[in-house]
Amino acid sequence: SWRSSAAPPSERPGERRGAEMKKLYGQDAAKILAMEAAMQLTFDRNCDLKQPKYWPVIPLKL
Amino acid sequence: MQGSWSLLGPLSWTGYINKQVNVTAGTDESHQGWLVTVDPVSASLVLVDFREDGGTSMEVVMGHAVENVTVLHEADEVTLDRLRTSVLSPATCSLDP
Amino acid sequence: SIATSAASGAELQREQHARSVLRETFLRCLLSMNNKKVRFHMHGKVKVEATFGASDIDVLNFQVSDLHTPIGVQKEALIRSQDVISFTVDE
Repeated sequence: SWRSSAAPPSERPGERRGAEMKKLYGQDAAKILAMEAAMQLTFDRNCDLKQPKYWPVIPLKL
Repeated sequence: MQGSWSLLGPLSWTGYINKQVNVTAGTDESHQGWLVTVDPVSASLVLVDFREDGGTSMEVVMGHAVENVTVLHEADEVTLDRLRTSVLSPATCSLDP
Repeated sequence: SIATSAASGAELQREQHARSVLRETFLRCLLSMNNKKVRFHMHGKVKVEATFGASDIDVLNFQVSDLHTPIGVQKEALIRSQDVISFTVDE
């Protein structure tokens, strides 16, 4: 299938994610993509701002 | 169905929605509540419990920790209504007088 | 045949719709936890409380504030979802 072949180098990550989202979510892909983008942005911004450190330092479960 | 919860897929997970379930997860931990949704990415469950004091608890059980899920009860109309109205509307938007 | 591919197309659409309803509801649940007190039940019988911030979309990490650890309060923290069995918000 096309998925098993290596992606051509010209392909942009955003397009690839869009295609994967379309496969997973069909007509609702754009809506889910937008919700996820907003949530990830909040997470990234909070991490930039607050610089949280992992707790516990060593994972409890590997 | 040990270890297989995360492999069930969206159509099977949907069959558990709005049912009261018992979830065993981790070691010897069991969690009960009305199943609101299952995250298709992490297979995590969202359970809601209406407490006797009138409050609502929401619990997320991580998909990777799930051992077993069993259905206890189907929701009646009253519970379905409570699930629909109380879960995803912010408390601040409550229409109660 | 055309019939079977149409049937599997409809089946795919049903699955896609189910997946998006589940995902949207899950994301809304996580968003509703913003700024609320959560109790994490972690592996090794570890239980801690914190104020929920946000999760990344792959649900690998939870960003929290005022994490009450057994040895004191950590103002800002990241919790690995792999360490977590469940977490609860009481309203």
